[in-house]
Amino acid sequence: MSRLLALVVFLFFAGAAQAQFRLPNLDLNRALDSAKNLGKATREINQDEEIAIGRDLAATLVGAAPLVADAKVQRYVNNVGRWIASQSERPDLPWQFGVLDAPQLNAFAVPGGTIFITRGLLERMQSESELAGVLGHEIGHVVKKHHLKAIQKGAMTALAGDALQMAVQNKNSAANEKLVSFGKEMYSRGLDKGDEFEADRLGVVLAARAGYDAYGLPAVLQTLQAMNAQDSGLALMFKTHPAPADRLDQLSEKMQPTLDAYASQPQLAERFRAEFKPAK
Amino acid sequence: MRSLLALLLLFPLLALAVEPATMARTTELKRYPASDAETIASLQENSKVDAIERRGGWTRVRSASGEGWVRMLSLRFSGAGAAKQGDSGVSSLFNVARTGSSGTTVTTGVRGLDPEMLAKAQPNPAELAKMQQYVVTPQAAAGFAARGKLTAQPVEEVK
Repeated sequence: MSRLLALVVFLFFAGAAQAQFRLPNLDLNRALDSAKNLGKATREINQDEEIAIGRDLAATLVGAAPLVADAKVQRYVNNVGRWIASQSERPDLPWQFGVLDAPQLNAFAVPGGTIFITRGLLERMQSESELAGVLGHEIGHVVKKHHLKAIQKGAMTALAGDALQMAVQNKNSAANEKLVSFGKEMYSRGLDKGDEFEADRLGVVLAARAGYDAYGLPAVLQTLQAMNAQDSGLALMFKTHPAPADRLDQLSEKMQPTLDAYASQPQLAERFRAEFKPAK
Repeated sequence: MRSLLALLLLFPLLALAVEPATMARTTELKRYPASDAETIASLQENSKVDAIERRGGWTRVRSASGEGWVRMLSLRFSGAGAAKQGDSGVSSLFNVARTGSSGTTVTTGVRGLDPEMLAKAQPNPAELAKMQQYVVTPQAAAGFAARGKLTAQPVEEVK
């Protein structure tokens, strides 16, 4: 049995590697086809597995930039984020939020309910409603399982379940190493544009549901738009997301009625300034 | 007039640093931030304005045709001449990266979230475990929301 699993894991990651890096000289598709013929059934990744996968990916992101050592701001972002997550279709995930000590402007969603925002992005915000819009966007990615689906897709569906399970169960396995490197690849390459636009719409909806001025996310996008596109702090964000102008056009096209219906809800600029003091 | 003032008070206000912008489309310049307010002028697509403050979905602008309010999403901040020169200073920070856990300043360890740095990142489960101490319960978050006078609303998802 373990030999079969090992074969399955090998074939799965060989397949992922081929899709990612186009290794020559290996007829992996044929090998995968015969593995499928062994009768392995496609199945969904369950919530426990999703959370376990997320733990490895989140550990990698905090490996790139540590948490800001400021309990007040960490607690504040958790309060805002947890309140918004409670309005989502997945209120019962173990949601946790962290501010990463990085000057770059970015935010990340990890399967299972872990969300990161960088200090650099927080410093550019003017109100709690803007933070709500960004956290809403990231929560939207988790609710729609965008990253999880990208992992499954990249890992060639039929075999993903078992191989991922192995990767998650054994931290020292080659499979786990591959999962982490696949995750890094995913976070530096980005999701499909369609996923980002969907997360933007959901971000606006979730912020409005949570009682915030729905224009928080568009306001942040305008701030990004006003910055020099060559700014080094935007490199990863702009590499992995559609241009702010395109995102604003999409929101303007599809979300105007929602935005306007909830435009007069609180922005909480003062509470934001009281809770978050940029390190200057 | 009184009801108009009351309406204005309803909208939270955010002052911006004055930002140069261009009109993404031809747009009516309004006396007040409301679609039924008097139209002062029609601002042509690509014309230049200065954005001053935001109120709900409206932004106050200074234009060649005077000062007034336009729809926030009719503004574009990346048009020719709108983009500001310079850098957020991130690159200059590279040589003095602060490490979050100790708060000490080091001059060699370059950390952060650039594509190259992400590629080199190694999992740090100990750092991740620190997040646990900041997690809040749904009940605590609801109390936090109430203190900010936030009220949950039923809002439909838009596909």
